[in-house]
Amino acid sequence: MKIAIRMLSIAAVILWIVILLFSVTAVYSVMNLGIDVGEVEMLPSSNGISFSLPFSITNNGYYELADLNLTTCVTDQNGTVFDITETLVPSIPRGSNVNATHTISVDLDSILSMNHVSLLLNDSSFNVEIFAGLNFARAVPVQLSTNATIPWGAPFAYFSIGTASVSSHNGTHVEGTIPVSFENHAVIDITGTLRAEVYDDSNEHIASGRADINAPSQQSYADRLLVYASQEDSSKLTGSGRMHVIFETPVFVVEWWEQYG
Amino acid sequence: MVELNTKTILNEVFPRALKATVWGALTFLVVYCLPMMLYPTDMLPLDYATPLLQFATIAVFFAVVGQFFSDTIIGCGFGVAKAIVVIAYFFAVSDGGVFSVTLPISELTVNLAVDISIILLMVVSVNLLNIAKNLLSAIALLNEKTNNIDIT
Repeated sequence: MKIAIRMLSIAAVILWIVILLFSVTAVYSVMNLGIDVGEVEMLPSSNGISFSLPFSITNNGYYELADLNLTTCVTDQNGTVFDITETLVPSIPRGSNVNATHTISVDLDSILSMNHVSLLLNDSSFNVEIFAGLNFARAVPVQLSTNATIPWGAPFAYFSIGTASVSSHNGTHVEGTIPVSFENHAVIDITGTLRAEVYDDSNEHIASGRADINAPSQQSYADRLLVYASQEDSSKLTGSGRMHVIFETPVFVVEWWEQYG
Repeated sequence: MVELNTKTILNEVFPRALKATVWGALTFLVVYCLPMMLYPTDMLPLDYATPLLQFATIAVFFAVVGQFFSDTIIGCGFGVAKAIVVIAYFFAVSDGGVFSVTLPISELTVNLAVDISIILLMVVSVNLLNIAKNLLSAIALLNEKTNNIDIT
């Protein structure tokens, strides 16, 4: 009986020592982790905008960090998911350093295909849910989660159409000059063709025109759009109606309706 | 019945009380003072001083009563109670093995969840061993007392 009691005591002491050693070295290892998160870079990409987050982890602890997983989920104010990106680092052995970059690509074409034209005309913000998980010493899974907000600058912010002025063009047509202005709050330059189709109040097509646009990022744009209408429609052009605005770039096409007059 | 006369107090109770006091003080030093010295509260963004103090209180109480009633059935009972209380305490503090905390980091609120099930399992194992040891000790003590009864 006494031997059994002695053996149980020894086993308990050994287990306590293991628990204490693991706890102390684990806390020491966590405190010696070097985590550097760089600045978020917003860069124009071939199909939209990419947000790049470089980070590096230096593991100066006693244990390996395994299955590092960084996931971001970008949603709009209504909760519609735009992008889910995952960055995986399979293993960070002790004494090593890992550099990685988490890149979130916001595809403008997919945003526009989801009828999010208001994002082109109004400044807004995206919600970014960030999840990070890793397996500490392949024994203790750790999870981090947080929410962040990214401001979104509209490329056609404060888009406005002024009052048209009409002048004679030839014997059959008149030339209408419509002032168009907007502010490009986006991080990308807006370069493309703006086409306008003018409709009167009875939804009858009366004029159309086009203009090449080049609005650098964070700059205001103001120009005159020339449209041509028949002589009998000249009075309608100065009245009220709707304008179908179509903006075309090599990457995307977007269209919306504006009231004028 | 053992009568509490001066001789008994001097020979039995006083040394046990002294031993229990020393063990209590040592336990407090090891369980509370040493961790607080190694990891001061401003080192980690967590309030671990309160749960550590709670654990130290439990550890000191059972160290004192364990030493005071050592080699008795009551001591074994306290040993079993200690193991059960420590298991329950670790379960309560770690929310059943998944320790969650919310940390304000600059403008963000970060939710941290650490799955310490393996550590909890080890704590439970070691305390189950202690329960077994105390039960065996109690049986051994009873057995010893039974053998010492003078039936003549």
